[in-house]
Amino acid sequence: MAEISAKYEQLIHDLRQDFRPQREWGEGRGLFLVIGHFLVGVAAGAWLFGLLFDYPPGLFAGFLLAGIGGIAHLGFLGRPERFWKMARHVRTAWVARGFAGLTLFLAGAALYLPPLVFTAWPWQATSAIGWLGWLMAAAGMIILIVYMGFVYSASKGIPFWTSPLHPLLYMTYALRGGAAALLVAMAMLGVPTEEIAQRLITIWIAITAFLIILFVLEMQGVLTSGNAAARRSAREMLSGRFAGYFYGGTLTLGLLVPLALLSGKLVPLSVAVLAAVGLLSALGDFFMKYTTIRAGIHAPLELRPVRMR
Amino acid sequence: MRWGMVIDLKRCIGCYGCQLACKAEHGTPPGVYYARVLKKEDGEYPTVRQFALPVLCNHCEDPPCVAACPTGASFKWEEDGIVDIDHDLCVGCRSCMMACPYTNRYFNDQPAHYFAQGMTPFEQARTERHQRNVVMKCNFCRDRVRAGKLPACVANCPTTARYFGDLDDPSSEISVLIKERGGFTLHPEAGTGPAVYYLPP
Repeated sequence: MAEISAKYEQLIHDLRQDFRPQREWGEGRGLFLVIGHFLVGVAAGAWLFGLLFDYPPGLFAGFLLAGIGGIAHLGFLGRPERFWKMARHVRTAWVARGFAGLTLFLAGAALYLPPLVFTAWPWQATSAIGWLGWLMAAAGMIILIVYMGFVYSASKGIPFWTSPLHPLLYMTYALRGGAAALLVAMAMLGVPTEEIAQRLITIWIAITAFLIILFVLEMQGVLTSGNAAARRSAREMLSGRFAGYFYGGTLTLGLLVPLALLSGKLVPLSVAVLAAVGLLSALGDFFMKYTTIRAGIHAPLELRPVRMR
Repeated sequence: MRWGMVIDLKRCIGCYGCQLACKAEHGTPPGVYYARVLKKEDGEYPTVRQFALPVLCNHCEDPPCVAACPTGASFKWEEDGIVDIDHDLCVGCRSCMMACPYTNRYFNDQPAHYFAQGMTPFEQARTERHQRNVVMKCNFCRDRVRAGKLPACVANCPTTARYFGDLDDPSSEISVLIKERGGFTLHPEAGTGPAVYYLPP
């Protein structure tokens, strides 16, 4: 009761603010949504790189992460028992598209993966059913990589998320997360060849560099031409309530430490370093998504057209 | 036919009568406000004025909450333009709350009563139709309107600062007021086509 009362008091306090922070996504059970979005993005990326590098453990990692991500999404819903109704509005709602994509991905992966492990499975990965599973999973993967940023950019009530670069940023997070997941998988299950590991590291660095450019462009856009609520959100992220997560989690753990490790000057490159880089990169991405969501502020209600009479 | 509302900010005295009438009509639980009143300031020193800004669902022409809803729980009635929620379909994902530029949607996860000792008989009678863990919002008192009454906030405004009528009818009281007194909407840049207009304070 005390906790509920505190939440009520918090809401009353927020309603009095010109810049009302959004708390539904990211606070309390809302944290499940952040976890779900993060895991599903990584899962789709892991599947993509698993296919590109012909590395089945990456596919299994993607399937597992997507499953856990789906469960996390259910944990967030107010009425999880009605989850299946989320496919009803695919025509306009990005959340519905994401649900359809996740369903397609999980179903396809469930058809494609078992024959890779069990030789006595009723069908082969190269059979018609196996190919159908491959196609479904690939289609689901594309939807999962693409949809997430659009969920945010369609949120007109939170100006910070409506930047046109936001969908591209989230696609890049998915790719970086996928590369990170494969680094961890290779460190745990064995690197196929040194050349593959080297290529994956190069890809991770390239994606990270692209991500930095996108992030700087988005922030520059928000701070110079965004509205007051978006600018306030950016300040919350860079110098306000969530600056600790951003500088400590995203910048230091997710970027500087992995780059320092990969430079080979702190410790020689090894399997353990690959695992650390992958884990820290994923952790940094999680903090990035967390701070972006938590820094969201509702568009203030103001009377701009009104002039004193 | 498209129902709309005009709120005269010059007449509104910020008494919260609309907010209370709405609470009484719908029995909304703590943390859910279909109608609420903000206190605002306008102008620059020394010509500053404080005024009240009553807000509610804007029943947009092109409602972003309806587009964002994955289940179709949020929808617009074709015959009168009222944006409503089918609570049996709502999964509580709250994407409509993020999509609404007017922040007038609420997630009902609070206890259904205001007092520590539990529900009063009045609350019990009023809240039994509400579902928990779904999103709630104003529906222009659609049941009252269909019965030929005014929405509770309009009927109970002591200064008659609120007007209700058909926006599609150019001769309706609200259409005339909007035209003659320069009615404006909140967040016109969002392009949602609100059905709630304000007259300057």
